[in-house]
Amino acid sequence: MTRKLVTVTAGLSNPSSTRLLADRLTAAAEEALADRGEKAEVRVVELRELAHDIMNAMTTRVPTGELPGVLEDVAGADGIIAVTPVFNASYSGLFKSFFDVVESGVLDGKPVLVAATGGSPRHSLVLEHALRPMFSYTRSVVVPTGVYAASEDWGVGEGGGRELSERIARAARQLALLATESAPAAADPYEEPTPFADLMSGLGT
Amino acid sequence: MQFGIFSVSDVTPDPTTGRTPTEGERIRAMVRIALKAEEVGLDVFATGEHHNPPFVASSPTTMLGYVAARTEKLILSTSTTLITTNDPVKIAEDFAMLQHLAEGRVDLMMGRGNTGPVYPWFGQDIRQGIPLALENYNLLHRLWREDVVDWEGKFRTPLQGFTSTPRPLDGVPPFVWHGSIRSPEIAEQAAYYGDGFFHNNIFWPATHTKKLISLYRRRFEHYGHGKADQAIVGLGGQVFMRKNSQDAVREFRPYFDNAPVYGGGPSLEEFTRETPLTVGSPQEVIDRTLGFRESFGDYQRQLFLMDHAGLPLKTVLEQLDLLGEEVVPVLRREFAAKKPAHVPDAPTHTSLLAERERATTNTEAQ
Repeated sequence: MTRKLVTVTAGLSNPSSTRLLADRLTAAAEEALADRGEKAEVRVVELRELAHDIMNAMTTRVPTGELPGVLEDVAGADGIIAVTPVFNASYSGLFKSFFDVVESGVLDGKPVLVAATGGSPRHSLVLEHALRPMFSYTRSVVVPTGVYAASEDWGVGEGGGRELSERIARAARQLALLATESAPAAADPYEEPTPFADLMSGLGT
Repeated sequence: MQFGIFSVSDVTPDPTTGRTPTEGERIRAMVRIALKAEEVGLDVFATGEHHNPPFVASSPTTMLGYVAARTEKLILSTSTTLITTNDPVKIAEDFAMLQHLAEGRVDLMMGRGNTGPVYPWFGQDIRQGIPLALENYNLLHRLWREDVVDWEGKFRTPLQGFTSTPRPLDGVPPFVWHGSIRSPEIAEQAAYYGDGFFHNNIFWPATHTKKLISLYRRRFEHYGHGKADQAIVGLGGQVFMRKNSQDAVREFRPYFDNAPVYGGGPSLEEFTRETPLTVGSPQEVIDRTLGFRESFGDYQRQLFLMDHAGLPLKTVLEQLDLLGEEVVPVLRREFAAKKPAHVPDAPTHTSLLAERERATTNTEAQ
């Protein structure tokens, strides 16, 4: 069966270490799905390219450009890989803004792998104090292993990047497990509305 | 098919002059615009209801009563009447009174209001918006149809042996539309009662609006009020016209760029591409509006937003001339030619009265 993955990356430079981490996580997730006998259909979303559309949606709710298609793919995804650079000790504003324009309920029950990049390992807990709570709020199923990559993790320090690779593989395996188990999407309220009698339950008639 | 205008009653500075009208000027301008709507041959004037600056329309039946006295044919409506924060008993009384004064030229549109702080000013909570809309409307519906009502609910004090006066004109309650831009519950509610459903059709792409309207049509049929294509649909729309398209764009751009609801968002070009906003020649407005029928099916009421974003009164009146002279006559002809015979017009007091008399005669004949 084909599983749909959407990778959301909020890096701003080109090439960015955030995109690099996003690509490695995506490849690892495809591999982990293949190990489970599943195919992957992947869409990588560079939020930088959607920055204006995200602000349009935020200010007026009018979905412009590629944004509606991206939001549709997010809604239909079996798993999401969300990667942000650390700005001012948290996720970037662009990253947060994107998830702010995702309709509420869309991420309910969706497996999300959280990852971040930073210049210093001292920000690694951003995954635990910023990303994980945000996705808990959206009722996503957050993958137990988050991946944080500081400058030294890219191979300069001791271990030559091996620890990062192991962490990426572990997180990807966990995402693949959840993505193959992911529950079918909730009923579309526009297709199957709550009948009037149920809406009136408990109200004066 | 009915054509008209709906106003949100905003007091907005004119960005080209920096001048802000006073509340008094804006209120008088709204009245002038309503009278003009009748002069140019439109069918409906609808006013919004707001309880916070920069809006002036806090008391719709007062304004509509005044307009009623100065018009002959215009249908007076709302866009919308807050069914969440108004007492349904007061809505029943106010609009029945208006209906008598206007000799039946009244209908109204229910809406919830999306301004959180307004709710507690009226003792309510926005998180209860949908249940409030459901319970309050259910009570309003009964108050207009039952002479004596015993009622108990969740949100207001119980009623024992209550009669809402005056009773609706000729015993026929005003027709009700339910307005919503995204709530399937409200489409379901409108369908259940066989009332009209209105989408303001301003900020949303057609794909979204279509989902809600299709849902309403399907459920209208489900509840036995007729076929899906006989459901009563109303749409909004916003336009700015000049004879030459380029002139319209040039003149409207500063208003668009500075309007509190659009400014800082998409460009005028993006907004006209992705939403029903049309800025151009009367022919472009005609084409775009006819396109609504392609997207949403035959519908009964088209309202345009014209007096907003700080546009001066003179400009709005010119827009109404263009609408009445060049756009609506063509739309009337085209829509009428395309509408199948089994699709009804929007109910009016006259048609509802005739329908009731038919029903009574049939019952007596049996």
